[in-house]
Amino acid sequence: MEAIKSIFDFLTGLGSPVMLPIVIFILSLILGQKLSRAFISSLTVGVGFIGLGLVINLLFQALGPATDALVKSTGLQLNSLDVGWGVAAAIAFGTAVGSLVFIVALGVNLIMLLLNWTKTLNVDMWNYWHYAFTGSLVYLVSGGNLLLGLIAAAIHAAVALLIADWVAKDVQGFFKLPGISIPQGWAITSVPIIKIFNWIVEKIPGLRDVYWDSETLQKRLGIFGQPIIMGAILGLLFGILAYGINPAGMTFNEVLGKVLMLAVQMAAVMLLIPRIIAIFMEGLTPVSEAARTFMQKRFAGREFYVGLDSAILIGHPITIATGILLIPITLLLAAILPGNTTLPAADLAATAFFVCMVPPLTRGNFFRSVLYGILIMTMVLYISSAFAPLLTQIARDIGYAIPQGAVQITGLSGGNWIAWVLTTITRLIFGR
Amino acid sequence: MMTAPKTYTILVACGTAIATSTHVALKIKELLAERGLEVQTVQCRVQDLPGMTLNADVIVATAQVPFDVDIPVVDGIPFLTGFGVKEVVDKIEQILRQKS
Repeated sequence: MEAIKSIFDFLTGLGSPVMLPIVIFILSLILGQKLSRAFISSLTVGVGFIGLGLVINLLFQALGPATDALVKSTGLQLNSLDVGWGVAAAIAFGTAVGSLVFIVALGVNLIMLLLNWTKTLNVDMWNYWHYAFTGSLVYLVSGGNLLLGLIAAAIHAAVALLIADWVAKDVQGFFKLPGISIPQGWAITSVPIIKIFNWIVEKIPGLRDVYWDSETLQKRLGIFGQPIIMGAILGLLFGILAYGINPAGMTFNEVLGKVLMLAVQMAAVMLLIPRIIAIFMEGLTPVSEAARTFMQKRFAGREFYVGLDSAILIGHPITIATGILLIPITLLLAAILPGNTTLPAADLAATAFFVCMVPPLTRGNFFRSVLYGILIMTMVLYISSAFAPLLTQIARDIGYAIPQGAVQITGLSGGNWIAWVLTTITRLIFGR
Repeated sequence: MMTAPKTYTILVACGTAIATSTHVALKIKELLAERGLEVQTVQCRVQDLPGMTLNADVIVATAQVPFDVDIPVVDGIPFLTGFGVKEVVDKIEQILRQKS
C-alpha cells in the first residue's frame, strides 16, 4: 500500500503534461490499441497541455488587467473571468482526479452495463472533463481527499448515464438519431430543470399555449456567432467599459490603443484556445475508439445506446437562434444579478450548449427555449461565481501562473448543479 | 503518364468546430486514404456554414445543417457511433469520384 502511494505521489508530482499521457498510454494498451498509435496519441495529449499553458498565459496578460480596470471603472463586481470550456476542461483533467477520470468513468459505465442499470455506452471521452471537474472541486474542498474526489466524479458519471437513458427516446425521436443518447456532463444536468420548468409552465394558463416553431425563424443567423468576430466585439466592449469610461489620466490615443489591442487579443483567445483543444481531441480519439470497440465487442447482441457529445444537437435552428439571443442576455444578466461576480467571456461562444436539451423536451418550442435559457443562464452565472475561488485555486495548484490579486477565473460551462451539490455537501462535512 | 492525384477538400462541421469534428476529420482522412483518395479537411461549426461552403467538395456534418447549402451534405454521426461507417465512406467516395 505504501509503495502504491509513493508511486502515485511521484506520478502526480510530475505534472499534468506528463501524468495524463502516461495514464492514457496504459489505458490504450489495456483496451487493445497498437503500441505506436497509443504512444503518439498519448504524447499528443501532453503537447495539448503544454500549448494550453501558453494560451492561458496570453489570456491572463491580456484580460487580467482589463478585468481589473473594468471592476474599478464601472463598479460592477465582475472579477471572475469566464475562461471557457477549453481551459476549464484542461484544469479539470490536470488534477489527480482528472488523470484517473478515464479509468473511473469507464469502470462505472462497464459495471452499470453489466448490471443492466444503463443502456448507454459513453464513448464521448472528451466530455469526461465534466466528471473530472466535479471530482476536482470535491478533491479541493475535502482538503485533498483523492478517494472522495473520485467518488464524486463517479457519481456525476453514473447520473449522466441514467439521465441519458431517461430522455434517450425523446432525443432520438426529435433529432432522428436512432441508437444514441447524450450523457454529456453539463447537458444532463439541464434535463431535470427543463422537466420542472415544463411542469410549472403547463400549470399556467396562457403561458402554456405559447408556441413559436422553427418555421418562423430567420435561418441565416450564421456570421454573428463566429468566435473570432465575437471575440473582437467583446474585446472592444470590455475595452470601452474598462478604459473608456474612466481613462485615469490616459490620453485619447492611449485609450484607443488599449481598446483596439484588447479586441485583437480577445479575438486571438477565442480562436486559439479551440485550436489547441483540437490537438487534445486528436490525442483522445484513438483511446475513445479503442474503448468503443472493446465495449461493443463485449456487449454485442444487446440493445444499447452510444453516448455522444451534445455538440451533435447544436445544429437545430431553434438551438442556434436561442444561443445567439443568449449572448447579450447573459451579459445583461451578469451586470444586473445581485451577487454575481462572473464576467461572461469565452463561453459566450458556446451559449447554444446551455439550451440544447430544451427543443427535444418541448417539442421544438422556441419560446420556451428562450424563457428556460434565461433561467438556466441565471443559475449558471451564480454557480460559476461560487466556483471561481475554487477553480482559481485548482489552476494554481496544478501549476498555471495566475497572478495573485482580485481577478479570479471561472467557466460558465462548469456551472452545473451536480458539481455544486456535491461540493456543498463536502464543504458541510469538512466545515470549509 | 501519371497525373498528380487530386486533393479533395472536405468541410467537417459540428457544434464547436473542435470536439466531434476533430474525431470525424481524423477518421475520414484515414479511411479515404485506404481507398486511395487524398483529402484535406477543414473544420467549422454548423452555425458558420453559410459563409464557408465556397471551396469544399462535400460537407460531413455531425449536427443538423439548418441552412440551404449548394454542396452535398453527408451525415457524420456513424463515425462517432461506429455503426454504418462503411456506408458513409462509400457515399463520400462516390461523391468525390463523380467530381473528378
